Amino acid sequence: MNRSLRVLSLFMASALALAACSSGGATTAPSAAESAAASSAASEAPASAAAGATITVTSLWGGSEQEAFQKVLDAFKTATGITATYQAQRTDYATVLQSKITGGNPPDIAIMPGLGFLRQFARSGGIKKISDLGIDPASLTANYPPGILDTGMVDGELYGIMVKFNSKSTVWYRPDVFTKDNVSVPNTWDDFKKALDSLKTAGESTPLALGAKDSWTLTDWFEEIYLRQNGADAYKKLFSPDGDWTDPTVSATINAMKEVLNDTYVPGGIKGALGASFTDGIAQAFSASPKAVVYYEGGFVGGIATGQTNTALKPGETIDWFDFPTFANGAGTGAAEIGGDEIAALTTNPGVKEFIQYMTTADAGTVWAGTGAIISPVKAVDASAYPTDLAKKEAAQVAGATAVVYDGSDTLPAASPDMGAMLQNAIQGQDLTGLLKTFNDGVKAAWAGEK
Amino acid sequence: MAAPPHPMAAQKGARYERTKPIVLAIFLLPAAILLAVFMIYPVIYTLRLSIDRGLGGNFTRVVGLDNYINLLKDPTFIQAIVNNLLWIVFYTGFVIALGLVIAVVAMRVRYETIIKAIVFVPMAIAATALAVIWTFVYQPDPGIGLLNAVLGIFHGPAPSWLGDSSIVNAALITVGIWGSTGFATVILSAALKGIPTEILEAARTDGANDFQIFYRIIVPMVSLPISVLAVTLMVNVIKLFDIPYVMTHGGPGTASRVIAFQMYIQGFQAGQFGQAAAVAVVMLIIMVPIMVFNIRRFRTSSVT
Repeated sequence: MNRSLRVLSLFMASALALAACSSGGATTAPSAAESAAASSAASEAPASAAAGATITVTSLWGGSEQEAFQKVLDAFKTATGITATYQAQRTDYATVLQSKITGGNPPDIAIMPGLGFLRQFARSGGIKKISDLGIDPASLTANYPPGILDTGMVDGELYGIMVKFNSKSTVWYRPDVFTKDNVSVPNTWDDFKKALDSLKTAGESTPLALGAKDSWTLTDWFEEIYLRQNGADAYKKLFSPDGDWTDPTVSATINAMKEVLNDTYVPGGIKGALGASFTDGIAQAFSASPKAVVYYEGGFVGGIATGQTNTALKPGETIDWFDFPTFANGAGTGAAEIGGDEIAALTTNPGVKEFIQYMTTADAGTVWAGTGAIISPVKAVDASAYPTDLAKKEAAQVAGATAVVYDGSDTLPAASPDMGAMLQNAIQGQDLTGLLKTFNDGVKAAWAGEK
Repeated sequence: MAAPPHPMAAQKGARYERTKPIVLAIFLLPAAILLAVFMIYPVIYTLRLSIDRGLGGNFTRVVGLDNYINLLKDPTFIQAIVNNLLWIVFYTGFVIALGLVIAVVAMRVRYETIIKAIVFVPMAIAATALAVIWTFVYQPDPGIGLLNAVLGIFHGPAPSWLGDSSIVNAALITVGIWGSTGFATVILSAALKGIPTEILEAARTDGANDFQIFYRIIVPMVSLPISVLAVTLMVNVIKLFDIPYVMTHGGPGTASRVIAFQMYIQGFQAGQFGQAAAVAVVMLIIMVPIMVFNIRRFRTSSVT
């Protein structure tokens, strides 16, 4: 009797501690009870203050990307004794995360794509400031190249830290076909167009693959050209509340897109491309029976093409990439665009601080980079950590860039009109003035609405 | 002295007259509570949310009719309404027409069950799976897309069914029709069985041909099931979401967006639940006349 009472009280105490943790997750300030519970629970643990704790980390990776990230979680467990469980949310990532936050049951940590979502969740109080975790943001600056930490700032406070990225300034091509058709790798936009013409003359009837059903491939095209034509400062301004989408530079960029994204070069014409997904586009260029030679998309194309589309591809021989072409008098020559994911804390449960801190270290970056799945933004990750030449080259491109900018469409407010849909309409030949005016009004309203 | 009332009449009268309000309340309460919790409260909540900013699903700031004004100014929303109208007209029309024709024709052949089973099979497939299957069928590349592969045999064109703004809605509506015709066939087939054969025989004896029988007898006699079917299909189509979401994500551009898809985008992607609630209210307003028609129809037919 006495004994069972004791068991019961122990049970109730732990239930109380649990309740303290979960309610702490729903409110903004970390409660004292919670940290007390954390320290008492960890009093016997040698390795770390929160050893033995279990936290959940959610992101949208599955398959090989998930396996790669699991290696980082395993290394974290070895280093700290904290178990981090991964929850994949492949589709409707932000939707589900929003529901979990609204429902008061968020995962501990989210790695989120897109700065618009980070801002949205930060402002709605869903995610914690890095400083709320007891991590001094100033102590992190030395770990990263300039500009990387800025991407995680919302209203002057650090909410997210970039943990991985890919270059978006890579144009993928088939070197063997270039050699066969006597076409050299283009440096400038004019050379690029000439190269497409030469390929066409040499019998490649549709040299430029395009998977525009996934409209983000079009936003990447837009961003690359806008960056190259107008430079990093103008680019950042366009994707900020001060951006003006009715500016002539915007229509100039869309017109440049249409110089190559048209029925002359694209398999199936623009209509065909609008029915083809991003991976269909990869297959157009790199499958065993390819229809195209060149495909523009980010650094992640390499892994998908060699790992899934066609395992017979040989990097450097049948698949490689060159820098996105530059524009004459373009202010953005040498700049690079990246798309990356930001880690953010949704609770202050024990182990969360440790995990976020771990993800800023070279150890985590090296483990992750070694899987070949990602490029790490952590400065101390050595080039030798990357397993393939394609990844080494990608890391070097960004490291050597004159300016690094973040994926613009991922920076726009979540409530903006769909930029990809606007571009899908534009490449079908709809009137640009009207499209851009509507889009500009919508983006302005969305920025104003974020305040 | 009046004769004592017939025992049956007394009983019948008592059943209505002697029921006390309290008993009535007890019997009505469970249904009333369920309705209040799951129908009335959400509607009021949505109405309230639709005049609020509603960021993240919370009441953040009352904005009056701003959400509705934004909708009217949004060309994408107007396009979504137009697309929904296309769905209502063509989807409902074709499903009923095909369902009726198949039901009538099938009734006249020996292998009726086999035909009905074949037509009904798509109903057994989840809408999302249906959409995924048809996405493959519509692939522009004849190496993958069944439809263009077949067209290729006849040296026909190879359209990009889902990438061409001018045909994407027709392509999607076709998928919807394919998925629902079986439902209409089964319902109408049952209704046809209810037509007394004497009437058909009488018509035939009077010299009516097959078309006259179809238009003058069969169609009027199954008009009630047809209208019920039409209402069901229309309500389904106003809340249609899965097919455009899976197959085109509303694209190319905004060509195949529908109202429910706009609601999803506004609420769950943009986090503007106030705006999404306004879309929901518009959907409700569109549905009301259809429901009123349905209820009226039931009342009149129960009288006659």
